[in-house]
Amino acid sequence: MEEVDRILIHSLRQTGTEIGDDVDSVKQFSSELIVEAVVRCLRVIDPPLGNGLSPSLPPGMSARFRLGMSLAQACQDLGYKGEIGYQTFLYSSEPEIRSLLMFLVEKLPRASAEASDQPAGKSALLQKAIAAQIRAQLALPWVPPTCRLPLLCQTQSAGVSASFRSQALLLLVAWGLWSVCSVLVREVADYCRDFLPPVTAQPSQHASVPASLLERHALDLSAAQEWENEWNSQGLLTRLSPEAYRSRKRARLQKRVEEQLRPPPSRARARAPPRSGPDLAELLQSIGGRAPGERPGQGHALHPHREVHLHTGTLIILLTFVQEPEASSQQMAVASAMPSSRQSEEDLLAQQQDEMQALQQQLQQLSVRMEEVGGDMKQLSVSITQVSDELKQRELSNSEKECSVRVKKQTIDLLPDAENNLAKLQTLVESSAKRVVSLASQWEKHRAPLIEERRRLKELCSNRELESSRKLSEIKDLHDKIRQSADEAKKKEGLYKQLITEFENLPKDVSRSAYTQRILEIVGNIRKQKEEITKILSDTKDLQKEINSLTGKLDRTFAVTDELVFKDAKKDESVRKSYKYLAALHENCTQLIQTIEDTGTIMREIRDLEEQIETENGKKTVSNLEKILEDYKAIRQENSALATKIREA
Amino acid sequence: MELSEFVQKGLQYLADADYFDVKTFSALVEVAFRSLLASHADEAILDGAEFKHIDQTLLKHCHVAATTCILELAKQNSDKSTICTCLEDIKFDPERIDIFYSSFQKNKSELENLLSSIGRCPPHICDASWRLDYQIKNSHVHKVNQPAYLITLNVENGGARPSEEVHFSCTMEQLQDLVGKMKDAAKSLDKATQM
Repeated sequence: MEEVDRILIHSLRQTGTEIGDDVDSVKQFSSELIVEAVVRCLRVIDPPLGNGLSPSLPPGMSARFRLGMSLAQACQDLGYKGEIGYQTFLYSSEPEIRSLLMFLVEKLPRASAEASDQPAGKSALLQKAIAAQIRAQLALPWVPPTCRLPLLCQTQSAGVSASFRSQALLLLVAWGLWSVCSVLVREVADYCRDFLPPVTAQPSQHASVPASLLERHALDLSAAQEWENEWNSQGLLTRLSPEAYRSRKRARLQKRVEEQLRPPPSRARARAPPRSGPDLAELLQSIGGRAPGERPGQGHALHPHREVHLHTGTLIILLTFVQEPEASSQQMAVASAMPSSRQSEEDLLAQQQDEMQALQQQLQQLSVRMEEVGGDMKQLSVSITQVSDELKQRELSNSEKECSVRVKKQTIDLLPDAENNLAKLQTLVESSAKRVVSLASQWEKHRAPLIEERRRLKELCSNRELESSRKLSEIKDLHDKIRQSADEAKKKEGLYKQLITEFENLPKDVSRSAYTQRILEIVGNIRKQKEEITKILSDTKDLQKEINSLTGKLDRTFAVTDELVFKDAKKDESVRKSYKYLAALHENCTQLIQTIEDTGTIMREIRDLEEQIETENGKKTVSNLEKILEDYKAIRQENSALATKIREA
Repeated sequence: MELSEFVQKGLQYLADADYFDVKTFSALVEVAFRSLLASHADEAILDGAEFKHIDQTLLKHCHVAATTCILELAKQNSDKSTICTCLEDIKFDPERIDIFYSSFQKNKSELENLLSSIGRCPPHICDASWRLDYQIKNSHVHKVNQPAYLITLNVENGGARPSEEVHFSCTMEQLQDLVGKMKDAAKSLDKATQM
């Protein structure tokens, strides 16, 4: 029992119960201590249940009674099977309390044991580190600022702090910029070598150096990670080298950006006032229909194109071309206006208006002229194409005619020796036909192996393709595996480190081996006891068997004797007497046996009763009864006090 | 610990005996620490005589790598084994690791101060005084009869500046609320230590 009590007290101390050092068995527990221990256990096992109960006994008797009742209820809710009520706590008996406490301690969650199997996450480790740091700082006493040592200054003064402000750093352009501005490579390299300040001198404020460096590094890391992800998910499938993939992606992006920026109608529409519909002609009408001075703010940029009724392309070109000079002229106007700020504003405005009108007129003239010239050019180009077409046709007909003339000339030459020449021609035709046939057969001869070769190569190609896709998927699998194993290794390493630190932090005084040895001893004892019990059981069985056989023998012997004697008894008087004696003897013996058995049962009962008496004695009945009496009196007093209060009120 | 490719490359140059002999290496490590911990920026920090024979571009690259690596190591509160494995991965020989580690150890507390000075910190309260006033009446109400606490908190704000004071007045309930909140804060701090 001492062992059990020690374990109980140890685990109760862990739950936060304050048990004095002199208490080393459950017998010494007072009611207050019991209540506190039970409440603390309940709080650990089931926080919402336990938080409603106070760990200290209240002074009022009725309140104590209520607390006992609710504690008993809570224990029963947890599944305690034994007898329990308010009396368990207020008028305790040692075995009851021990069994209750054992139940509660078994119910305590073993979170720590289970948690150590899993590697704690980064956040848990960080929180632990933070907790350790706070503990260390709390352990230090606070010292007024004037008497602080430099060591304390770190933790106790607010320190001069600057917020996390980072600036973009220009790292060496060797990284990544080479490819972008290949034209400028040499100049950039020269700049890097001779003029680029070291990275710690780049930020305008020296305090933002660490922040900038850290941010830059995090940026690089995340970009690398992003690229890795993309490459593994999409890039590998394209079967391009990383550089090719990158350049293709860049081209694609550029194209998309251009597509987004290109569409002229949307741009024109964006610039146009909202009332203009999608119809371009209407839009142009609306632009052209506005008077110059009507809306100086909105129509400003569009005034030069009032006369423009051309198609969209021209409009856009004009827009882009015209805006720039206009903007620059505006800037110039502003620049010239700056020094002469003394002039009145109206003068300035008028001047600007004049200038603008002059410019607009000039522009109109120019555009009209351009239009005219464009029309002329178009006409001229049309006529040029017509003329060149004619020329080509003429040339064609010319060459045809030349051909026919040549043929006719040859035939005329051949005419004089017609017979001979005809035969010659026929042989010529035949030989050429033969040649064609032989060439065709040769061609066939060559063709067949070539086609065969082509087919073979095609097959080979497709095989290779299959192989490569298979390998690609294998590579992907391998990548995944590598990543998984790396993750696992990292996790395991973390777990190992954590376990080592935990192991180092563990209290060394709990001797595990002693416990296990004791447990083994106890198990050995139990085994020995079991053996003894089985021995005794077999002995008892043997005895029972012997008794049974003896009883049977007796019964049989008696029956035989009885029969023999009964037979003789009819003839002889003395034998009859002896038969009577026999019967009496048998009866007496049975009685004797009965008595012995009765004695045995009574002895057993006596032993049971003795045990019961012992347990009753263990329950401290007398002192508990006295306590109950006192409490009863207290309750009566309280009741009477309450009654008088009611009466007074 | 993860380092970006750029930093790794720079550190590899540093580890390479063809580019940096041990003397130059230790000088560069020293310069890296100095440039981080110095109170003002110095553009000429890499113009020392010991670096004359090295290409300036390479030197700047290595300087960036060294400073970033130092900051990351300090940020993660790395112990000796982590630093060693990290540098061994980049092929540092034991001698250079020793040089690097000893200067890191020497400057560690200053680096920690540097990193912890980034951020905001509310002012510390170091003293408080109070006065209890009893308001009898004012221009609007004839009979007020309410107590009011005038609290002055002495606040320590940064080592350099003189201490400031925060004044406010509050009623009894507000003061109780404040005290309760402070007690809660202390309790949660206690709870945080029992992780």
